[in-house]
Amino acid sequence: MAITDVPILSMLRTKMNWAQERQKVLAQNVANADTPNYRGRDLVAPKFQDSVAVATQPVGQVVLAATEPGHISGSLGGNSTYGTTKGGYEVRPTGNSVSLEDEMMKVASNQMEYQAATALYTRSLGLIKVALGKR
Amino acid sequence: MDFMKTMTIAASGLKAQAGRMRIISENIANADSVATSPGADPYRRKIATFNTELDRSLDARVVSLGRVANDKSDFRTKYEPGNPSADADGNVKYPNVNSLVEMTDMREAQRSYEANINVISATRRMIQRTIDILKA
Repeated sequence: MAITDVPILSMLRTKMNWAQERQKVLAQNVANADTPNYRGRDLVAPKFQDSVAVATQPVGQVVLAATEPGHISGSLGGNSTYGTTKGGYEVRPTGNSVSLEDEMMKVASNQMEYQAATALYTRSLGLIKVALGKR
Repeated sequence: MDFMKTMTIAASGLKAQAGRMRIISENIANADSVATSPGADPYRRKIATFNTELDRSLDARVVSLGRVANDKSDFRTKYEPGNPSADADGNVKYPNVNSLVEMTDMREAQRSYEANINVISATRRMIQRTIDILKA
């Protein structure tokens, strides 16, 4: 049994993967905070049902759940396994909808979620170590 | 690794904002640069523009400094007959630079720059967390 087969680890990896992708999207928003006609976007959070299904298959093959018929995977290309949402209801006169304060909040919360996931990952690895009798 | 991509995207933001700062400083420095010959046009205010472009290797939309446009607004004129740059009527054209506007622009550039720095440091902390898994 490989270490990736442990359900909790693979779930946490999905979460960390998602946080990584989201960080990328948020960085795009911040970098384009002054670009005219740029619309901010965000990543759709992974659902619990999905992660249960995901736990049995390797990360990277996460299937995008389309909850609405109009859902598309966004312009992030084939690499991204999560959908993006067009955010921003507050559009500035230049056509830009990025609010730096909002983005900073999102970056901070994304970081916290990532920290939670890595901390849990460490603890889970600790469980395996206990089982191995190394402690 | 996606985090490295994040860093590169944020760095593109830093670069664009730094370029904008360069243009703002050019405007402020030349706020009183009159023409060298009588009646000619003085320094014209420049405006930095931003373009969003798809970086294929990153698979993300980065920002870059676009064409530097000229501000088409009218020059300020002052009646200074003694000035060597004055035209026949004694009017001197001064650049269309408003230092208040430049200061506001500069603050905005600074704020955006800081936001990008913030993203980089948050990402760095996330990478550090990942490495910390090894240490556990």
